[in-house]
Amino acid sequence: MEQSVARLQAQLMKDYYKDFSKYTKGRIPEHKVAWVTAFTPVEILEALDIAYYYPESYAAVIAASGKEQTLIQESTKLALSSDCCSYSCCFEGSISLEQGPRGIPPKPDVLIATNNQCNTLPNWWNILAERYDVPLIVLDYPGETVERDIACDYVTQQHKAFIAEMEKLSGRKLQLDKLEDLIRNSEKSVSAWQKVVGEFSKRNINPTALFDGISFLITSRCKAETSQLYMAMADEYRELQPTDDELIPIFWLGYPLWYHPARYLTEILDGYRISGSNYITWWSLDYSGKDSFEKLFQAYNYTFLNLTQKTRTERLSKCIAESNAVGAITLRNKSCKCDFVSAKNVGLPQVEIEIDMIDRNYLDVEKAKARMEIFKEILCTI
Amino acid sequence: MKILSLSGFVPEQICDIVRFTQYDGSHTISHYCGYAADFISQVMEDETIDGAVFPKSCDSSRVLSSYLMESGKFLYQIPVPSSSDRAAVSYMATSIRQYQKAIEDFYKISIKDIEKRVERINERNASLKEQYGKLGEGVIYSRYLREIHNLLKTPLLEQQISNIEAGKKGDGKRIYLIGSFLSNCRVLESIEKSGMCIVGDNFPESKRLVFAPEVSAMGDIYENIAVSMLHTQLSPTQNRFSELIVNDLAEIKKKDVEGVIYISQKYCEPYDYLYYIYRKRLDEMNIPILKITMSDSTDNKKLDFELEAFCDLM
Repeated sequence: MEQSVARLQAQLMKDYYKDFSKYTKGRIPEHKVAWVTAFTPVEILEALDIAYYYPESYAAVIAASGKEQTLIQESTKLALSSDCCSYSCCFEGSISLEQGPRGIPPKPDVLIATNNQCNTLPNWWNILAERYDVPLIVLDYPGETVERDIACDYVTQQHKAFIAEMEKLSGRKLQLDKLEDLIRNSEKSVSAWQKVVGEFSKRNINPTALFDGISFLITSRCKAETSQLYMAMADEYRELQPTDDELIPIFWLGYPLWYHPARYLTEILDGYRISGSNYITWWSLDYSGKDSFEKLFQAYNYTFLNLTQKTRTERLSKCIAESNAVGAITLRNKSCKCDFVSAKNVGLPQVEIEIDMIDRNYLDVEKAKARMEIFKEILCTI
Repeated sequence: MKILSLSGFVPEQICDIVRFTQYDGSHTISHYCGYAADFISQVMEDETIDGAVFPKSCDSSRVLSSYLMESGKFLYQIPVPSSSDRAAVSYMATSIRQYQKAIEDFYKISIKDIEKRVERINERNASLKEQYGKLGEGVIYSRYLREIHNLLKTPLLEQQISNIEAGKKGDGKRIYLIGSFLSNCRVLESIEKSGMCIVGDNFPESKRLVFAPEVSAMGDIYENIAVSMLHTQLSPTQNRFSELIVNDLAEIKKKDVEGVIYISQKYCEPYDYLYYIYRKRLDEMNIPILKITMSDSTDNKKLDFELEAFCDLM
């Protein structure tokens, strides 16, 4: 029987949050626990029955619940600079006060950080390692700084060493066929999600649903239910009305604003519609390769933020062309230096707005409105 | 050929590089390291500079190419592995070979003096290590660090170490410095004027440079350079904070340090996260810590009042 979008979402969320402190009432998790960054090869953890949680995603959930300010202030009291990534400030406050909309995640047995997104995350994971006194594993992905063969060999050696460590932790032996199945699940999730994203520029889809919807590709990409969810979403979207041609199509270049009920600035977008976003394509990982190791290398070494400016510009330009956008809102995010420069040379008029994806205090709405007015005039004269 | 380098992760053994110290430039980028922004300015504006080499070690440095790509100058990014195991050494060695090839291709030269340079660097570092050992005991820190900065701006084979020994033991409260590259050495004079005596540091241009293990010219020289780079005093960008801190705290204890001054650049995440742990550990040891944040490479903040108050606190 086909399952509905709401039912599949509820099932995946229940599975992910069941061991958070709000629901466990002191119960110890059945599996070993890893805290991971958003581009960790979680297929390896899943194959070894290690549970994994994403502090970044939880910081987004906290901001969406409107509770981020108290927690950011708490982290400042603990001597964490407010210049640091707000995901870390918000999450540090949360675990320090043991507060969050779903409590806090189960304590980690291991911390795993990757540098294929930014270099801040491994730094942040070091302070988590200090707090919990558990092993920290940092996986180093060269991206395009060296030739492919060299990078593949180096990353594969690290993945093999990582598997050996995780086998020790879990007390299990990794089954390569199970790993292959899980990678296939991830491929299916990516493929189904791309169908969802493909409808965005054609149908009257609320961007909020996509900004929230991608969270399953982050936290549950190798679960079988994730591709089912996205196929169901794509089917629903195909039934929607076509986009309103009266509205100006615009590209959202940067993170969703997690604290905002719509995740984007509805209040300054009268007369516009968001027709594309780079954030919702970041987890469309390419798992091509002759075996599991090459597939994992390909997927996790060539993540968008780990590419050279030239490749990023090519990918982004393609993404923008598919969206039919005539302009872009480029977010200068206090918490992410790596994404902002993605916007270079994409051949589209852009308006720049200062924000933080977690801390609402970085946005000056009136200033943003004024900029959008000027931007509208520019777009109308082109 | 004049290549500006941003970091100690750029191997001096391959060819001459000019270590970036400070530059009063026009590039400002919000929420971005002022030191890295000044580096961008110098590469873009200084016509005597024809190349730039920098690490992939923090968020500011990882996107430097994006800002510099229109310069038309030689650009190269050096990777910084977190680990120092066999795979990391081999990967780093390959990256160093690629770096050499990129220089040879761009400048149409052939590099043949690596062994000679290795030998010279070994000798220089041994001399500097000796000076480091005498900090507070006859060597004044501000003179020691200025000497290093001058050396790093001079072609390797022309580097001459001056006699910087003052001949008398330093007095005042014993201070240890922690931080990223100290672009503005004037802060050191302010510290010394406030009655403090600097007895050690973990700056990249000092401790991590002069304590780098000697590179052997026997065997695979690229692997030997990589081993030295990955086995010297750690940088927070290598993401092994606990090992880094253990070493520093041992030195702090051994040298009877009475206070720590932590100097970082604004928007320098590796040092901001590291500070979080340092402060906790030093609080446990009852050692006071003063954090000074510089806005860019030329920031000449009036620190005298803060430093005097810190000295009084000790």
